[in-house]
Amino acid sequence: MNHANQTAQPTPATVAPPAGAGTRLLRIVGPLLWVAGLAIPSVMSPAWITIGGIFAIYSIVALSQDIVLGRAGMYDMGHAVFFGIGAYTSAILSLSFNWPILWTIPVAIVLAAALGAILSAPIVKLRGDYLLVVTIGFNAIFVLAMKNNVFGLTGGADGLFGVSGPTLFGHMFGTQSDLFYLNWVVMAIVLWLMRNLDRSSLGRTFRYIKHDELAATTLGVNARNYKVAAFALSAGIAGLAGTLFAMQLSAVSPGSFQFTDSVVLFAIVLVGGQASVPGVLLGTAMMFVVPQIFTEFAQYRYLVFGIAMILVMILRPQGIWPARKGAL
Amino acid sequence: MDFILQQFINGVTVGGIYALIALGYTMVYGVLKMINFAHGDLCILGAFIGLTTLTSGALGGLSTPVLLVLAFLIAMIVVAVAGTLLDQFAYKPLRKAHRLSAVVSALGASMLIENGIMLIWSPNVQVFPNNLLPNISWQIGGAYLSFVQLLIIICAFLLMAALYFFVHHTRVGTAIRATAIDQDAARLMGINVNRVIAMVFIIGPVLGAIGGLFIGLYYRQTYFTMGWSYGLNAFIAAIIGGIGNIPGAMLGGLVLGLFNAFAAGYISSSWQDAITFALLIAILLVRPSGLLGERVAEKV
Amino acid sequence: MNPPLSSNPPSGEVLLELDRVGISFGGLRAVDDLSFQVRRGEIVGLIGPNGAGKTTVFNMITGVYRPTDGQIRWHGQEITGLAPHLIAKAGVRRTFQTIRLFADMTVLENVIAGQHLLMQQSWWQGLLRTPAQRREEHALVERAMEVLHQLDLADVAQEIATSLPYGAQRRVEMARTLVARPELIILDEPAAGLNEQESAGLNDTIRAIRDAGITVILVEHDMSVVMNVTDNIVVINFGKKIAEGKPADIRTNPLVIEAYLGQDDDEDDPLMNAIHEEQAQS
Repeated sequence: MNHANQTAQPTPATVAPPAGAGTRLLRIVGPLLWVAGLAIPSVMSPAWITIGGIFAIYSIVALSQDIVLGRAGMYDMGHAVFFGIGAYTSAILSLSFNWPILWTIPVAIVLAAALGAILSAPIVKLRGDYLLVVTIGFNAIFVLAMKNNVFGLTGGADGLFGVSGPTLFGHMFGTQSDLFYLNWVVMAIVLWLMRNLDRSSLGRTFRYIKHDELAATTLGVNARNYKVAAFALSAGIAGLAGTLFAMQLSAVSPGSFQFTDSVVLFAIVLVGGQASVPGVLLGTAMMFVVPQIFTEFAQYRYLVFGIAMILVMILRPQGIWPARKGAL
Repeated sequence: MDFILQQFINGVTVGGIYALIALGYTMVYGVLKMINFAHGDLCILGAFIGLTTLTSGALGGLSTPVLLVLAFLIAMIVVAVAGTLLDQFAYKPLRKAHRLSAVVSALGASMLIENGIMLIWSPNVQVFPNNLLPNISWQIGGAYLSFVQLLIIICAFLLMAALYFFVHHTRVGTAIRATAIDQDAARLMGINVNRVIAMVFIIGPVLGAIGGLFIGLYYRQTYFTMGWSYGLNAFIAAIIGGIGNIPGAMLGGLVLGLFNAFAAGYISSSWQDAITFALLIAILLVRPSGLLGERVAEKV
Repeated sequence: MNPPLSSNPPSGEVLLELDRVGISFGGLRAVDDLSFQVRRGEIVGLIGPNGAGKTTVFNMITGVYRPTDGQIRWHGQEITGLAPHLIAKAGVRRTFQTIRLFADMTVLENVIAGQHLLMQQSWWQGLLRTPAQRREEHALVERAMEVLHQLDLADVAQEIATSLPYGAQRRVEMARTLVARPELIILDEPAAGLNEQESAGLNDTIRAIRDAGITVILVEHDMSVVMNVTDNIVVINFGKKIAEGKPADIRTNPLVIEAYLGQDDDEDDPLMNAIHEEQAQS
């Protein structure tokens, strides 16, 4: 215990270590890219406006998957469930009950989050592999329930049509451009939330649980509650993306929320980089944007993605753009 | 009563198929502690290979029984090779890596195989010729047992008995069991673990290929996404029985087959999968290691 | 029922009591009929040959294992079988024999983890980065740096914890337990891997911890630590208590000597060396 010999250490400004050059660059370039993206409806073709909007929506879902998988370390391979719940809630409330779509958004988020909590509570104690299978089960049950037109509300295998965009400040968001802006802004909000999550005790606690749950409990962490919280938070955000999805496609159907979609989300996080926002965005772009460039090869999409998954795991297991150490 | 008997017959038939496929999952999991998500797709590959063999004009001169046997053999060989290649290229490089890497690689392999099948054969349903097996049924009480059902049941049980004998009463089988219990200890005892793993990636896919081809013969059709749905059911069967546990997989397969038959019969077939999952979830919540599974204690 | 709180001296209030505690793992009786007390301000040592069950005792106290028999009491209240996070909440912290720091996180982040229960920020305050939350983050960092200064780790605060040398990692783990100002700290072989100089430093650290008002239980093989720093020693072998008393008494206790002698090939056993030295000198 040697006080005398120490040089005066300035108290660090934040918990996280000072950002490296790459990250500092990204902190500037990232927002610039986002601002540049706002120009898409003005300069790109309609097809690309839609692609941009879809990319924003799936980024949000993928980021939410990252919360439960990349940060809290739980093998959730049924995440499309929450995405679907958000989408269906908005669609049903606005079409069958004539709610203004804007009001359906908070309900969708809360409902998805609540379901996330309720479904996860009994299963977070299961071993990783078993948890994985159970989440697949929830996903499958949900899809079946939608297909079977449960309560007569869900429209069966064809789903529901005619979901319209919101009316904000008297302006009706109907066109693809309008929806693009909406999605792009919500994406920015979610990105901001993710950044705050990383700098908060909640985000840190998720990481403790992922890295060493036992040690975390001896520090007073109620691991079970936090695991459920991770599910609930990620479900809520996925639900938000779901409402945007419903508006974007103006329709919802069971086919968008199946096992394959959950697998894609899972893979995006692991291939892009766990707990890495740029990594997840990159993975989302790979899966949803790149194939659009090569439309003649559309049927090879899953083949290529499958090969990519294998190769990335062998050659770059930390992901294409891993989170920097010390921050995550 | 007749209804129950019929469901029982149906259930045991499908259960036998599930068991054959489930064994592949459980053996790989037992030895490598990983879920081979691509297994279901390998099994259905067996169906496709078998179908191609059966409908190949080049073999037109052979009698039907010989043709069938040939179809099975070729399917078994191709799938065994595919399984071995799968392990060599997608799993072996990840033996020492984190579990999640192997999961993602397996999912990638599954996508690869499934889409490969789609691209090679076509996304459409492939129909099996209907003159392959005698169209006889026997009446038992008010229920019917068809030839193909009897064939499946007999073959499945014979294979399961053979595997059980193999695993418990031969040196190689014991080596497999030892490796499943403790890989390092097995290695220290002089067991060639790599060879054990290679064996497992042959036996599992071979049984699965037989199961897959039986699916094709039973339902007289196959399509490229069947691997996922049957694979998942068989996987659930393996978990119900306790993943890694060979008798468990057999038991789980039969339990699931019967459960499915009765659930479809009494409740509704459109909710069948949901009920299957509900059963799985219920079992896992009460017995987190499956019906016959071991309780895994964590050493601190 | 409880004796009045005294400010510093040992033999004050009983903080922790094990009452005929036992645990079986399948057929193996790992700990049997173990009873002892720990008083506020004491430094208690738990020693015994390898495999005697010491870490198992710690795991039972901290809630990792649930005893099959007996009771564990904290401030007179039963805590047997409570979940680890609740026992931490009650004021008990521990280190691990194998050092369980959070990999891929800095020293500072690890120590801040120790303050988990002191945090007030709610989840939405964190997500929205409210001013209150920002202030709390600052306070967390300051408090953590204080402890790091005391343990000579301030320089490496931003290094990845698991990249440090072994001895430093042990200090980080200790910092993580101290930052929460627990009532009781359990140290599981804190001297393992330390050289003589570091062990002496460890002794000072342990005494400083006690002076700060924290009670200590430690498991240790290094007799230069155990004999010099503890007030009371409990000796267990094969899961049973074979002796308890002051260091001087334990050193000459024939049962203890026999327990260590009964071990094969323990030429390097520090206790035996210490005993032999004593006998050589007398």
